[in-house]
Amino acid sequence: MIASRSLYVRLALNALVLLAAAVLVFPLVWILMTALKTQSQVMAWPPQFVFTPTLENFRVLFDAASAGATNYGTIKIDFLSPIENSVIIAVGSVIVSVIVGVPVGYVLARRDIPYKEDIAFFILGFRFAPVLLVVIPLFSVFQAIGLYDTYVGMIWVYQVVTLPMIVWLSRSYIEDIPRELEDAAAMDGASSIQIVWRVVLPLLKPGLIGASLLVFLLAWHNFALGLMLSSAKAPVTVALLKLLNPGVQFYPVMAAGLVVTMAVPVVLILLGQRHLERGLTFGAVK
Amino acid sequence: MADVKLERINKAYGSVEILRDINLEISHGEFVVFVGPSGSGKSTLLRMIGGLERITSGRLCVDGRTVNDVDAADRNLSMVFQNYALYPHMTVGQNMAFPLEMAKATKSKIQARVGETAKLLQIEHLLDRKPRQLSGGQRQRVAIGRAIVREPKVFLFDEPLSNLDAELRVQMRIQIAKLHRQLGNTMIYVTHDQVEAMTMADKIVVLRAGRIEQVGAPYDLYHHPASQFVAGFIGSPKMNFLDCRLVEATREGARITLSDGRGVTLPVGAIDLPSGSPLVLGIRPDDFVPPGANRDELSLDIVVDVVEHLGSVTYLYGAVGSDAIVAVSPSNQVRGKEASASIAVAPRDCYLFSKDGVAFRREGVSERWN
Ligand SMILES: Nc1ncnc2c1ncn2[C@@H]1O[C@H](COP(=O)(O)OP(=O)(O)OP(=O)(O)O)[C@@H](O)[C@H]1O
Ligand SMILES: [Mg+2]
Repeated sequence: MIASRSLYVRLALNALVLLAAAVLVFPLVWILMTALKTQSQVMAWPPQFVFTPTLENFRVLFDAASAGATNYGTIKIDFLSPIENSVIIAVGSVIVSVIVGVPVGYVLARRDIPYKEDIAFFILGFRFAPVLLVVIPLFSVFQAIGLYDTYVGMIWVYQVVTLPMIVWLSRSYIEDIPRELEDAAAMDGASSIQIVWRVVLPLLKPGLIGASLLVFLLAWHNFALGLMLSSAKAPVTVALLKLLNPGVQFYPVMAAGLVVTMAVPVVLILLGQRHLERGLTFGAVK
Repeated sequence: MADVKLERINKAYGSVEILRDINLEISHGEFVVFVGPSGSGKSTLLRMIGGLERITSGRLCVDGRTVNDVDAADRNLSMVFQNYALYPHMTVGQNMAFPLEMAKATKSKIQARVGETAKLLQIEHLLDRKPRQLSGGQRQRVAIGRAIVREPKVFLFDEPLSNLDAELRVQMRIQIAKLHRQLGNTMIYVTHDQVEAMTMADKIVVLRAGRIEQVGAPYDLYHHPASQFVAGFIGSPKMNFLDCRLVEATREGARITLSDGRGVTLPVGAIDLPSGSPLVLGIRPDDFVPPGANRDELSLDIVVDVVEHLGSVTYLYGAVGSDAIVAVSPSNQVRGKEASASIAVAPRDCYLFSKDGVAFRREGVSERWN
């Protein structure tokens, strides 16, 4: 079939692929370029593609003490604490979700409980619902009980984003572990806790690392929850928005902030790539 | 004293009854085989004994203790699974050490037992490998090793050889039989391979749709099947069944006629049926002989469809009247592709069943071998 494609069709297909790639990559390249330019270079028309890159924007972003001395006038940005907030909230959310979600996933995978599928679907339903559904009622509740703008409160609401994913992914990973392994361990004299600890968890580990990574990224990118329910503890996505000052538009600094924000997931994905592949269960059966 | 005793055991999933009224005694050191067609409840019964499946009603005793509510882990039985179920994240050595670790054995004891067991099964050179680096036969041996390392009272096997190729299956079958002799433990073995059942068992339990159809030594099941079902299940190729009618029941046995009018008198026990009653005649394919060898024999004319030459023997597939028939004959007696053949069977080799499948007692056959 492939051989019968004419030269023109092949050229056209390749061109389409290139076009798609260009559309996807262009904004990223543009942001990266902007982050390395000065304000006047950014504002120049026609846009400059050849310029001397500067790291000044990154300095402005993090150097809160001397940030006022820039050519942007008197701006004071502290981008470090939103990053810190995001790390604490995202990591905390993942940890809580794993601790709560894996046992739930196990029960949904292995036990016969009434209305199992309904419960599972209800949990997944949170992935479909708009986050605002939760946020608006929670706003006043959180202020009333003092959870507004606290890490505990943030980690708690972030479960809306992270917990359903962990439950569903761990359920499907556990379903992939042959039940006979647990039967074998029971016959070998292992208690329920030993079965989970010695057999299920080691086999679940690669999948769980992958799932945690994925869920971390979801939490990292979340915007609406932080916008509504935090101020000083706002995550990095919200801090980026605050760079959009109506008076002065320091696009290059914003771009630098974006680059930093994107760098975290990119690094994590590169580091965790091999964990995203599963396959340890191979060899158990057959 | 019985090692394992099942009393009126039932199993149901919801309203579906899977096993009904199972009564069975297994004494120490016995090799018991559960056979039966797919779905007859063999695995469920085994898993209930092992403690992996709840018993709906009835009583299960292991070693004199009622264990209905005892966890699998505390029954001190071990099990070999059809799919081996080796822990993929552990080496062979760790797999075999696992049951001992669970039993809180000392490090030195674990090492010694794993070593001995590996030696017995000839897998010493594999101890550092992961299960995925093993062949099917090697995995099976590791699985057996993991089961015997703890020296439990009773071993449970669920079709342990069904994933192996024919040659390996024979080898492993012999190895398991040898192991049983060396260890002397009770073994309960599930299979639907009747050759495995015949060759390994001290006692065969034939299951059919959740009930025990017959329990007995291989010889008894082969020569004195309780029913047409057991007769058809034990023995390979399968027993032939021909429709016939009772002419009269005499002291010598039962005189019957086939649909083509040929008759024979079979040495069977009392038949309390009116003459003319429909019956089923059973003949094993390898009991056929050339005509003229016996007095009072029953001779049949087969319309042959297919002839298979297997070397030492030849299989004839065909029909007698409207009944399909398979006959095994020594190769030198059939040539080419004959369209018809004449064969005969001695009356004492025949089996007779009522129309609803209950066997009549065969009088011409001794109770035991030798
Ligand atoms: N969890 C379950 N829920 C409902 N029915 C079940 C369950 N497990 C098994 N069964 C049914 O119980 C019956 C017996 O199953 P079992 O696995 O014991 O058969 P088996 O004799 O081992 O068959 P095979 O030779 O195919 O392994 C089957 O009809 C099966 O459909
Ligand atoms: Mg089975």
